[in-house]
Amino acid sequence: MAVMRRPLLPAVALAWLALGSGAARAADPPPLTVFAAADLAFAFKDLAPRFEQAAGTRVTLVFGSTGNFAHQLRQGAPADVFFAADESFVTALVAEGALLAETRTLYAQGRIVLATVKASGPKLTVLRGLLDPKVRRVAIANPAHAPYGRAAEEALRKSGVWEAVRGKLVYGENIRHTLQFLQTGAVDAGIVARSVASVPEIDWVPIDPSLHAPLNQAAAVVRRSPRPELGLAFIQFVNGPEGRPIMKRYGFMLPGEF
Amino acid sequence: MDLFPVWLSLRVALTATALTLLIGIPLALLLARRRFPGRNVLEAAVVLPLVLPPTVLGYYLLLVIGSRGPVGRALATIGVELAFTWGAAVLAACVGSIALLIKSAQAGFESVDHQLEQAARTLGRSEWSVFWSVTLPLAWRSVLAGAVLAFCRALGEFGITLMVAGNIPGRTQTLPLAIYDRVQAAQMDEANALALIAVAVVVVLLFGLSRLARLRF
Repeated sequence: MAVMRRPLLPAVALAWLALGSGAARAADPPPLTVFAAADLAFAFKDLAPRFEQAAGTRVTLVFGSTGNFAHQLRQGAPADVFFAADESFVTALVAEGALLAETRTLYAQGRIVLATVKASGPKLTVLRGLLDPKVRRVAIANPAHAPYGRAAEEALRKSGVWEAVRGKLVYGENIRHTLQFLQTGAVDAGIVARSVASVPEIDWVPIDPSLHAPLNQAAAVVRRSPRPELGLAFIQFVNGPEGRPIMKRYGFMLPGEF
Repeated sequence: MDLFPVWLSLRVALTATALTLLIGIPLALLLARRRFPGRNVLEAAVVLPLVLPPTVLGYYLLLVIGSRGPVGRALATIGVELAFTWGAAVLAACVGSIALLIKSAQAGFESVDHQLEQAARTLGRSEWSVFWSVTLPLAWRSVLAGAVLAFCRALGEFGITLMVAGNIPGRTQTLPLAIYDRVQAAQMDEANALALIAVAVVVVLLFGLSRLARLRF
């Protein structure tokens, strides 16, 4: 022990101090922090640098699960703006006072598509096609907590195939996870968001939006944000003349844009 | 490539391991040496973090240290905000890893011959002195092995950290969170590079320690 202690402890202490230089970055003036649903990742990485230039501020994008973000915002998470995958979370947080009601804005209406893995047989065009015995596994997002999963379940029920398809279903944690099941060929078909469907591994056809409740996606400024006007400017930028074409390109359409 | 997550994670894991040793060794000693009411409850509580899913643990922890939680409010009165800082990541790493240290150290302390400690006491040594001159020198391999496991677990901690520290790039995005983020964004090159760094750190650590201390893992 005595032999060990001498070189080890000072080395560890030195390493700790040296690493301080990395962690010290937390002391910089904080950028605009945006909590955004995971499906916005591609669109926002394209869009945020343009806002940074236009507004002269830095933007930190944090992508994750809408449910996790909601829990964190209730507990005082240091975000300025919240883009939820499902407006019900925004409604709840506005009611609880964590988000500013007057900043609440619809930024997209989600659409779902029927996807078939290119490598695994015939391309499906209708939900009834899922009954084909050649389709062994079908991926949807978990309907218990993922909005796109709930829409998928509603569409399958309305088409009268829910009971028959149920035994083939595999649940993804969120819509990107569901897409991964398709991309890796772990399933033959699935129902995913239009916004993530443009990948080389799958074919897809739109699902009639009248088969499910509208997937309204809303954003709002966080009450404890020190710069609410900057947060609101970001929301307006997303829905403005520079933001909308990018949002549309990634499949985030407002009613009227389809 | 931004290496901030690497430095942050190393700092978090080192700090967490130091705290874990500070809190874990007395607890391990207590569990190994004393019979007291509630001992079984304490023993169960120690391993609980290994049983619960990390995100669930993080959910509860955030309820406690968040701005509306009891600890969060108490800290706020003295001007400290723990949730969503790198300190929260340290707490997450401690909670996730302390059981590994305690169980390993406890086994080490239990295997120390009581008669040797008794002999030291009859020679007039204080309990403090007995611990440093007899118990720890005989059990240090188990303590170190536990500390290494705890460090590795702290370095890889994901679920609790995601909930209590957030995944904020440049502030609380640790190495595992950064790797996950890159995978989600389909930036596999960066994800692979970061994963390689994580593996390299642990391999170097284990190799170095086993050379230094002739440990077997």
